[in-house]
Amino acid sequence: MLSSLPDAFAILFTVEGIATLILGTTLGIVLGAMPGIGSTVAVAIVLPFTLSMSQAPAILLLLAVYAGSVYGGSISAILINTPGTPQSAATCLDGYPMAQRGEAGLALGWATQASIVGGLVSAVVLIIAAPQLAAFALQFGPIETFALILLGMTCIVSVSTGSVVKGLLSGMIGIFLSLVGGDPIIGEFRFTFDNWQLYSGFNLLAVVIGVFALSEVFMRASAKITSVSELVSFRGIVFPKLAEWRGRRRNLAKSVLIGNVIGVLPGTGAATAAFISYAEGRRSSPHREDYGKGEPDGIVSSEAANNAVTGGALVPTMALGIPGDAITAVMLATLTLHGITPGPKLVEDNPVLIGAIFAGFFIINLLLLPLGTLLSRVAAPLLRVREAYMMTAIVLLCALGIYFVRGNPFDLLVMGLAGVGGFILRRQGFPMAPLVIGMVLGPTLELTLRQGLILTDGNFFAFFESPIALVLTIVAIAALSLPLVRAALRRKPA
Amino acid sequence: MTIRTSAAALALAVCFAAPAAAEFPERPINLIAPFNAGGGTDLLLRGFAPHFEEAIGSPVFVSNMSGGSGTVAASALSGQRPTGYQMAYMSITVSTIQPQIKNVPYDVDSWTPICSVAASPTLLFVNNDSPFQSMDDVVAAVEAEPGKYVFGSSGPGAMTHLTTVAAFSGLGILDKLKHLPFRGSGPAIKELTAGNIQFFGDTEVLMQRGDFRPLMVFNDERLENYPDVPTAAEVGIEAPLNELYLWGGLFAPAGVPEDVVAKLAEACETAVNSEGFQEFATSSGTVINHRGPEDFEAFFRSQYEDNRALIEAAGL
Repeated sequence: MLSSLPDAFAILFTVEGIATLILGTTLGIVLGAMPGIGSTVAVAIVLPFTLSMSQAPAILLLLAVYAGSVYGGSISAILINTPGTPQSAATCLDGYPMAQRGEAGLALGWATQASIVGGLVSAVVLIIAAPQLAAFALQFGPIETFALILLGMTCIVSVSTGSVVKGLLSGMIGIFLSLVGGDPIIGEFRFTFDNWQLYSGFNLLAVVIGVFALSEVFMRASAKITSVSELVSFRGIVFPKLAEWRGRRRNLAKSVLIGNVIGVLPGTGAATAAFISYAEGRRSSPHREDYGKGEPDGIVSSEAANNAVTGGALVPTMALGIPGDAITAVMLATLTLHGITPGPKLVEDNPVLIGAIFAGFFIINLLLLPLGTLLSRVAAPLLRVREAYMMTAIVLLCALGIYFVRGNPFDLLVMGLAGVGGFILRRQGFPMAPLVIGMVLGPTLELTLRQGLILTDGNFFAFFESPIALVLTIVAIAALSLPLVRAALRRKPA
Repeated sequence: MTIRTSAAALALAVCFAAPAAAEFPERPINLIAPFNAGGGTDLLLRGFAPHFEEAIGSPVFVSNMSGGSGTVAASALSGQRPTGYQMAYMSITVSTIQPQIKNVPYDVDSWTPICSVAASPTLLFVNNDSPFQSMDDVVAAVEAEPGKYVFGSSGPGAMTHLTTVAAFSGLGILDKLKHLPFRGSGPAIKELTAGNIQFFGDTEVLMQRGDFRPLMVFNDERLENYPDVPTAAEVGIEAPLNELYLWGGLFAPAGVPEDVVAKLAEACETAVNSEGFQEFATSSGTVINHRGPEDFEAFFRSQYEDNRALIEAAGL
């Protein structure tokens, strides 16, 4: 791999190569920042253009849009409390409170630096250790994945601001919403009441946008308008000084690691990584008390992890020919169209091309810094409009984004209902992040549990014969009981 | 940007939804991919659309309406007016399997078949380090240890599921194996590589994604690339389970006027035979299989009947 890098750079540093990287990353950031578009749709939008491009630029364009959109999602999460992509939902939790304090620029600065570190490290790991990591990914069968998702579910407790009971209820609502639609094992429809619009269940993105963005608009509309002040005071990115990173590097490193490992495992994804990393930060960060109130560490946890997933997801894709998610599946299809057969011999047969892709991926992550800064400067004046106009624009953007994803007006209805439901729940003090976790992780939890039970002939305890599953389950139990133990220890001396 | 243009065009198409006029086509034509953008069906349709556009002489745009294994788009289309301006690319599963196993608002009589575009035979395959060299080995091993071996699928009722069901039901050992459905072919292929499942069935293109070995092919003759791999009939599987093709074509709602069908079908034939689409098919591994409206309708109806045997065997 390393020996082919000189030839790879020759492919990259052409006019076409550089233009592709810059345009693709810019487009990715913009599309990712648009509420409701999401990484998968962003990649699908540029897909037709790749058909007329040559091999390396075609894949690089998709990669640039992918990495750019994951970063771009954080911009709208911080500025308008609307996760542009589901994987930025955890970024809202601390990013938006910071923005409300008037530190929107700084919040974006933290997010940008964390995203870049996450992406760069994952690119290096991809270049150095893809085959080894791919072998590790193969160790994760349904049973191991179930245990990992179980661990992810414990995040509901850590992201429940206020009442844990309300957080758990909110998580249950999320899981229930995810049960609507086709049964993953026998294929029968559940909770659809013979309405074909419900066959595919509720659109995740529509629900996420509804409960975060639309409910926020309702909250503001219901509040008394006393001023026509700016929504957030934002003049462009402000980067935190290096000294401010002191005491936060461990959290950063841990988040990058979590993102990388989870990214490698097919079928888990960036949203899972961001939430698990956020929960871990909330457990171990020296600033854990401030999580949820606008703590930079919270942004770092989420953003470093979700960007580290991008490189991780390429590991099984490139080393085994197995797509980790819908986006890498699109990349594999594009490779096929360009006459390259993805599979275990992909790297062996096309070392220069793969070298160019990996090196290009590294450069894309570097490009996030100047392009992110530039784009946020351009966007800043747009945010300085009156709140009423801004809110209207948010509703319109969300509706457009949601409609584009599947071309189904029913999704707009789902978004609207989720907005009203989210508004009612939030006024009663229910946190919305657990609902998203439930909806993101619910289907995988159910599928892997039932797959595991098929494999073990219905014996749940056989799950723990897998060492990986056993360790992950113990970690999950520890994560849940740690706060109780801490509280008990604190009480004893008194 | 194309998706935006498509949406604008869709809005236009809806506004002017009037009975088919004398000079068809006078508006843009919408081809619906019932799956997500970027999937196999979507790519095929996007590769096909420009050539179809050239042949029909009116703008053609592709839109995606995914969900419910393709049934959401098919259900939506079946309720539209049969003007010929809206068609979906439907596969064997969307058009013949799903309506027979689920309570959807469409059936065999809901469509005007326009033309078929592609059909790829499926294969049953194992990981390359598998001890099974032939189907005889498989039958012997499964008979010896019932309940031990597992076959995967990309989901209940999917083509991958039907392939394995046809194989094992045709050999009479289906109830001695376990079925493990996944969400899509990707994760299933990973488990085949990892060894958690032993068998999987899909098309040649997909099989080449991994280090896999075919045991038999559901075609009427052996495949060019695998002359040593027997057909299902040679292995002893009887009709109608011995041939299985992942086929697809354009369908419009039932009742499209004959002159419109003729124009659409002619354009489809020209597009399929165009040099550009042939090139696209070669690079994407698409096996072209063109049928005109009458042929396609007869084929579609016989498949609808034949696949009932598969559905019963699969217990769907």
